[in-house]
Amino acid sequence: MTDHYDVAIVGGGPAGQAAALTLDDLKLKTVVIDEQPQAGGQILRQPPQSFRIPGWMEDRTYAPLVELLRRFEARTSIHWIGSHSVIGLRREPDGLFALTICSPDGLRSITAARVLIAAGCQDLAVPLPGWTLPGVYSAGGMQALLKAQRIVPGEQIVLAGTHPLQLLIAAQLVEAGGGVAAVLFSQPHGTMLKAGIRNSLRAFDRLSTAFPAVRALATLRKHGVKVLYNAPIQAICGTDRVAAVQHSGGEIACDAVGLCYGFVSQSSLPRMMSAKMRRAGPAGGWATLCDEWMQSSIQGLYVAGETTGVAGANAALASGNIAGFGIGAELGAISRDEAARRVARHRANRRSLLRFARLLDEIADPRPFFPALRDDTLVCRCEDVAFAQIGPVLDGRSANAVKLVTRCGMGLCQGRNCEPTLLRLLDNPNDPGFTARFPARPVPISDLAT
Amino acid sequence: MGGGLIGCATAWRLAREGAKVTVLDSGDFGMGASGQNAGSLHFQLERRFLENGDALAEQATRTAALNRLAISDWSSLEADLATNLHITMNGGLMVAETAEECALLELKIARENAEGLRTRMIDGHEARQIAPYLSEAICAAGYSPDEGHADARLVTHAIAIAADKTGALLRPRCRVQSIRRVCREYVVRTAAEQFAASQILIACGAWTAHVAAMLNLHVPLFPVGLLMNATERVAQVVPHLVQHVGRRLSMKQTHSGNLLIGGGWPSRMALDAEGRFTLYRPPAVIEASLRGNLRVAIDVAPMVATINLVRSWTGITAISADQLPIVGEIPAMPGCWVAGGGSAFTLGPTFARLIAQSMSGTKCEELEIVAPSRFAHLNSFMGQ
Ligand SMILES: Cc1cc2nc3c(=O)[nH]c(=O)nc-3n(C[C@H](O)[C@H](O)[C@H](O)COP(=O)(O)OP(=O)(O)OC[C@H]3O[C@@H](n4cnc5c(N)ncnc54)[C@H](O)[C@@H]3O)c2cc1C
Ligand SMILES: Cc1cc2nc3c(=O)[nH]c(=O)nc-3n(C[C@H](O)[C@H](O)[C@H](O)COP(=O)(O)OP(=O)(O)OC[C@H]3O[C@@H](n4cnc5c(N)ncnc54)[C@H](O)[C@@H]3O)c2cc1C
Repeated sequence: MTDHYDVAIVGGGPAGQAAALTLDDLKLKTVVIDEQPQAGGQILRQPPQSFRIPGWMEDRTYAPLVELLRRFEARTSIHWIGSHSVIGLRREPDGLFALTICSPDGLRSITAARVLIAAGCQDLAVPLPGWTLPGVYSAGGMQALLKAQRIVPGEQIVLAGTHPLQLLIAAQLVEAGGGVAAVLFSQPHGTMLKAGIRNSLRAFDRLSTAFPAVRALATLRKHGVKVLYNAPIQAICGTDRVAAVQHSGGEIACDAVGLCYGFVSQSSLPRMMSAKMRRAGPAGGWATLCDEWMQSSIQGLYVAGETTGVAGANAALASGNIAGFGIGAELGAISRDEAARRVARHRANRRSLLRFARLLDEIADPRPFFPALRDDTLVCRCEDVAFAQIGPVLDGRSANAVKLVTRCGMGLCQGRNCEPTLLRLLDNPNDPGFTARFPARPVPISDLAT
Repeated sequence: MGGGLIGCATAWRLAREGAKVTVLDSGDFGMGASGQNAGSLHFQLERRFLENGDALAEQATRTAALNRLAISDWSSLEADLATNLHITMNGGLMVAETAEECALLELKIARENAEGLRTRMIDGHEARQIAPYLSEAICAAGYSPDEGHADARLVTHAIAIAADKTGALLRPRCRVQSIRRVCREYVVRTAAEQFAASQILIACGAWTAHVAAMLNLHVPLFPVGLLMNATERVAQVVPHLVQHVGRRLSMKQTHSGNLLIGGGWPSRMALDAEGRFTLYRPPAVIEASLRGNLRVAIDVAPMVATINLVRSWTGITAISADQLPIVGEIPAMPGCWVAGGGSAFTLGPTFARLIAQSMSGTKCEELEIVAPSRFAHLNSFMGQ
């Protein structure tokens, strides 16, 4: 049996929550599907309900997001399907969207008249010598362990990369009792300041509220954590696990490394639908193109939040509201004019937040600092494809063609991790990347068979 | 024209004979059906020829001579190319679950044996001795010791490299835009260049009809969207090619450990703005196909159930109006050759060798059964 909804939303982060509340206000039958057990998304990744964590997300920066989350959770008329991954999305001949969703308990299908994809983003995976040693994480992975399980993955942690978020993550790690050996920025200190000044002090103010890097720095100073600039890392060393990182100015002993070069949008579902995409910011990845109502190039398929380009939680929230009204108007639950009036302030807010996001992109631009690959550095870690296997076929052919002969991108992650690296190596702005295929996540055959 | 398995292999053969050859492809080589297929080397009569009456089965049986040649072509390909293409020819089983299917198998094997193929009927017990992963429900199988599979990811790529080394000119990302016949030559144009040739081969797979249209010709090859499924990598358990005589299934395990599951289940071809089939977007997965295909796989080899599916992909191949391949010179257009249709992975190297031989002036009787002349009536008002 297939459940039917007016609107199916993929992702229960700020974008999905805001859209769902709007749609529910408009009396549309709405379901939100998320592979996490609880709503919150990346920014408010919730610990299990049995955990008691004093002061969880109490920081005032998070207040509007926590308030949104509480309202969302209290709204019982919105159907919540947690712990389920959307692994397939297609349009049936009758025009309805069909979503295939799976969980440890098996598979189900739902149909919906409209779909909103608000699937968020993930850390950019950056290969470098030693990056597959146990103990190497993406910085966001470390933060997820911390937010969701209160796990600190090391006592001598090094964070390294170009994204200022690593300051925040380092501060959260030390506050939770972890030891941080150093935070290494590849870029010179001046890059950050210059970009800030060029875009006026107002933007910089914005930086410290929406993105409390300045406060994080103070925390790190208090705990005596070294923050080095102009120190791009070159390799991670160790025999059977991480022992040290090498950067341009020397070596630092450590027991865990978090790499932080930026974030890339989740794009598998829109690409499965052949929606039009654009190359996203300097970190790479694909953003889904959309109109002023957040509708993608596919009629009836909407996108919001980081799916449209990485811009942070508040921009995600604003775009979720816009998408909610856009879908509501298309389904006739509100007039277009009224919808336009209601989204005006969200649009204005989003525009200014996007300007801020571009500033952050500029500061965090990883492109000049990607570590050099050695012949034996794995580019695709699912299929163990080393740089030496890829080099010889970088002759102008497409990413798909490289994938076919080398297996780069053929693994469990569907190429989510290696695609940005490969596209960088190919250096062809017209390459459409890997063809997105079903299923977005691996699924047991017995669940799929009739 | 067309840098798939057929185009590349023909160029390689011709260049070895000293001909001056150019291969043009609109994209990268081997990215059409030749890079999307299941890689089965199947020499038993295909199930699709058995489900449409005796006449077709009879006709298809007559292609057995081609299968015999293909067995020897695949056996020597790695040595000829001096590369490892993960070709395994450890035998193939076409299984049956019901009494009716067993009867069908018997008829099929009798036909094959009459044509000199080494298939034999084995019972369920023997099948499980050869292939312990098979279900208790399998009551018989046709066993062909020559069947197997090759890594479709690598074959066309390796042949293209060999063609290049032998002196053929390879032009990826050069779409043929027009073909003109001038006196006794053909002039083939791409966006940036033009090439004159005394003979041309249209080996454009599902696009063949489009390209033939450039010469005002019909070639009755139709695009078909198919589905393939790959599991995560697991320890080697299935060294054979496994097919089913009554249900759609092909299953094998790649060198890397993935199980590939297919067998001719349809996918839904995309339509363009005018509502015509388009070859420029991947076909969509049909859920019933996916579920049905995986069910057959589990019924035949129950251990499959617990393995994860990592990818389903769709690909487009070409099928002719009468299901048999179309390979040879077009009667209305001397010097213009065409090759495509059907299971041209298995038969591709053989078609290529025979076309190269025919283009060089030595007639090949083996190609008569698949000659385009059987559709000559379609072109009686066409050509130029
Ligand atoms: C590690 C990390 C740290 C970040 N820190 C900050 C920060 O400090 N400040 C800031 O402003 N921004 C931060 N961001 C950016 C963050 O993504 C956004 O701020 C915000 O969470 C975006 O909201 P969203 O609704 O677009 O996506 P998310 O909040 O990411 O929500 C997307 C949801 O979709 C679900 N999902 C995705 N695909 C599927 C699928 N196929 N099936 C089912 N569910 C699916 C995910 O489980 C997730 O819960 C961070 C991002 C990351 C990755
Ligand atoms: C999913 C699937 C599974 C299959 N399984 C098997 C199997 O197990 N065993 C088997 O024997 N067969 C199988 N087949 C069939 C087999 O793959 C094909 O018959 C064979 O690969 C055809 O090779 P080809 O060289 O004729 O065509 P293709 O490989 O399709 O090559 C045609 C080429 O022509 C190019 N082209 C198109 N238009 C132009 C133009 N205007 N100018 C220049 N170039 C152009 C294309 O870009 C393409 O590269 C399968 C097919 C599919 C799709």
